[in-house]
Amino acid sequence: MRATAARAAALTAVLALTGLLPWLSGTDPALSLLRARSAEQEPTPEALAAIRTDLGLDSGPVALLGRWAAGLLHGDLGVSWVSGTEVLPAVLAGLQVSLTLMGAAAAVALLTGAALAAPAALRGRAGTGTAAAVLAALPEFLLALLLLITVGVWLGGLPTSGWTGPAHLVLPALALGIPAGALLGRLVAEALPAVLEERWVELWQGAGTSRRYVTTAALRRALPPLVPQFAMVAVGLTGGAVAVETVFAVPGLGRTALGAAKSQDLPLLQGAILALLTLGLLAGAVGSAVRRRLLGPALRDASLTLPTARPTPVPTAVPVALGAVLLTTIGWGLLREPYAIHTTARLAAPSAAHPLGTDALGRDVLARLGHGAVPTIGTAAAVCLLAGLVGLLLGFLPDTATGFADVTNALPPVVAGIMVAAVTGPGTGAAALAVTLTAWPPLASHAAALTQEVRASAFLTAQRAMGASPLWILSRHVLPAVAGPVARHAVLRLPGTALALASLGFLGLGAQPPTPEWGLLLNESADYAERAPVAALAPAAALALLAALAVTLAAMTTRRRTTTSQRKSLSLAR
Amino acid sequence: MNPPVPATPLIVADSPAQPTPSAEPLAPPHAGPAGQPLLSVRDLVVRYGTTTAVDGVSFDIHAGETVGLVGPSGCGKSSTAAAVLQLRRPHSGEVRFDDVDLTALDERQLRPVRQRLQPVFQDPYGSLSPRRRIRDQIAEPLRLHGRWSHSAGPRRVAELLDMTGLNPALGSRFPHELSGGQCQRAGIARALANTPRLLILDEPISALDASLRAGILNLLLDLQDGLGLSYLFISHDITAVRHLSNRILTMRDGRLVR
Ligand SMILES: Nc1ncnc2c1ncn2[C@@H]1O[C@H](COP(=O)(O)OP(=O)(O)O)[C@@H](O)[C@H]1O
Ligand SMILES: [Mg+2]
Repeated sequence: MRATAARAAALTAVLALTGLLPWLSGTDPALSLLRARSAEQEPTPEALAAIRTDLGLDSGPVALLGRWAAGLLHGDLGVSWVSGTEVLPAVLAGLQVSLTLMGAAAAVALLTGAALAAPAALRGRAGTGTAAAVLAALPEFLLALLLLITVGVWLGGLPTSGWTGPAHLVLPALALGIPAGALLGRLVAEALPAVLEERWVELWQGAGTSRRYVTTAALRRALPPLVPQFAMVAVGLTGGAVAVETVFAVPGLGRTALGAAKSQDLPLLQGAILALLTLGLLAGAVGSAVRRRLLGPALRDASLTLPTARPTPVPTAVPVALGAVLLTTIGWGLLREPYAIHTTARLAAPSAAHPLGTDALGRDVLARLGHGAVPTIGTAAAVCLLAGLVGLLLGFLPDTATGFADVTNALPPVVAGIMVAAVTGPGTGAAALAVTLTAWPPLASHAAALTQEVRASAFLTAQRAMGASPLWILSRHVLPAVAGPVARHAVLRLPGTALALASLGFLGLGAQPPTPEWGLLLNESADYAERAPVAALAPAAALALLAALAVTLAAMTTRRRTTTSQRKSLSLAR
Repeated sequence: MNPPVPATPLIVADSPAQPTPSAEPLAPPHAGPAGQPLLSVRDLVVRYGTTTAVDGVSFDIHAGETVGLVGPSGCGKSSTAAAVLQLRRPHSGEVRFDDVDLTALDERQLRPVRQRLQPVFQDPYGSLSPRRRIRDQIAEPLRLHGRWSHSAGPRRVAELLDMTGLNPALGSRFPHELSGGQCQRAGIARALANTPRLLILDEPISALDASLRAGILNLLLDLQDGLGLSYLFISHDITAVRHLSNRILTMRDGRLVR
């Protein structure tokens, strides 16, 4: 009940935010609009004021929102401030392109996922291996850029820019579909082994049921619980589309939104965001509907025991080694000068003086990588702290949190980043805020689970019987029990958060030049990948390391959580 | 009318007990001035939604007396205990403790009363915090009611550990470093911290190994002798109840039966 109310509130808030973008951002579109409408008219104060009145910017936020909502109901999304044309056709055209791209990406994802899950389905092997896991964690912009550089530039043959024929679909669909497919395959491969070990499998095999039949049945049992996660993958496609469309210059919805945000074309931005948000919410809603349909009454009666996923085991040495490599590189780079310009040594190849070469201005790439760790990982640490606090707070209100999470889950970090940047202008703070807004749900659900566990214990009843006030119980017992594990969880999410921030930096929504933030660094170096491949690939490698670290740390959290609960049941049995 | 059954120290866990009729004693062992009961429960009704777990239960407990409450699982014993402790507010009825109707008090007014009315639960590990040292948990009721001081506090904790037969060195351990029996003793020590008059013991020995049960029962008898405590002793194990109780109430489907 409360979840539904929270869901409605969150949705209304996001819609209202979208509608209020022109007012929130405080930009004055009058001048640009005047230029767009007629080139020769003088920008007199009267003419500008007339335009402001015409747009309703003077009438206050409520009237503005009312007008936008009324227009929305009539299918009128307003007029672009930049081009002066109707927004709706532009959004529909972008939507068509994006849906084609997402469809192709979904096909790629299904093929990738099937290929990765096949060993688990056929041989009962657990997981998909670390390589596939890293692929799943790789942000789309990174893969897109790697494909662009390797296939497009070095190998040639496939178009890397534009949208004029089926060949243009190949690279963007691969960049968008492969990480999604790796994630799908991993989810299935981790869920299957537990199912294949259930008793009925042995019974069926003993009865001579064909292998194919058993595998199909096992898949049918393993898949339904995963449907919501599949929906999340679909939502992720809407975010990934922004980056991929930007890299390959595909005129889709994501690129439209990003362009509109950068040029402060707020009506167009509103329309594009609305479409992206609708896609995300639809994916989520279809996911829950399918799950309910597949699991049916069993879900309601809570009588269904679902198999537990078995993550690929990762030796502790792997994240430690990855972290060591990253930290060494960063430390080495930090000792060097990141902003010194060596005009004589532009785009230099690696040498003793510049171990990773220099960039287009002759700056030392290693130094920039090292110093870039501060805005990238440092900001990520701040975001994790903030998201951990929000998660902790909302963990005490699990119903409300669920409602909010449903809506934030439909909002990929990139889309949130576009919205925030439209309001505040791009910057490190804007990117941090956007990622925080989308990073808290897993932490909140962890906090909620822990809180519930503590609240249900007899020990808390003893506290009440002792005469402890709710505040005493909360501050001395519940909070200490929840805060530690949630803080650890937040720390382990640091690399993934840094990647999300880098995505925003790459798209120009985060840190601004000359900050050597890694996403921005990659964006700058990508332009001269042919002439200075090491300089271009260095930030890509750093981000890939971060992705590997994110995956291996995640595997360790799940393992730790299972072992603690096992230990607890052991001590109870004593 | 039957004579009251005297509380006998337990020597062997399953030694034969005297037959125990569930009737009012002629004179309670340590009756107050006018025979005023310490706890007087009248027409207690406890509901969970539409199900009625306790349906009009009435009984008295006098100072120094042990009343046993037995009955099959699910008959409403724990619900009765929770309602007496005001951990679950009863739907109707009266719970008079020291001549005050607890059902009429709000949570704040109940706080001082709670010092004198304490529970001991079934799960020895679950009723202690897994994250706190034993001595801190025993000290918590003292701190909570402003009875902690740097000199007297630790002495009182040591005294409580000693009273419940725990080595003072165990105070610095965590619950998972103790045995079930030791945890149960720590739980009793915590309940005794603020010198209660009545302990509600809800299946205090059911989760323990048979070999540890006698120890806990004997501890309860010793404490009663030393401190003049009253007990509401709940169990589905009638043998244990017989050893401890002056009087036994039998419950079935939310009602007391004869
Ligand atoms: N929190 C609760 N919510 C709903 N029903 C409960 C709850 N606690 C107990 N009951 C029900 O009340 C009845 C009595 O339970 P309880 O007092 O725990 O019995 P006992 O302690 O004698 O085993 C049972 O039918 C039980 O299912
Ligand atoms: Mg019970």
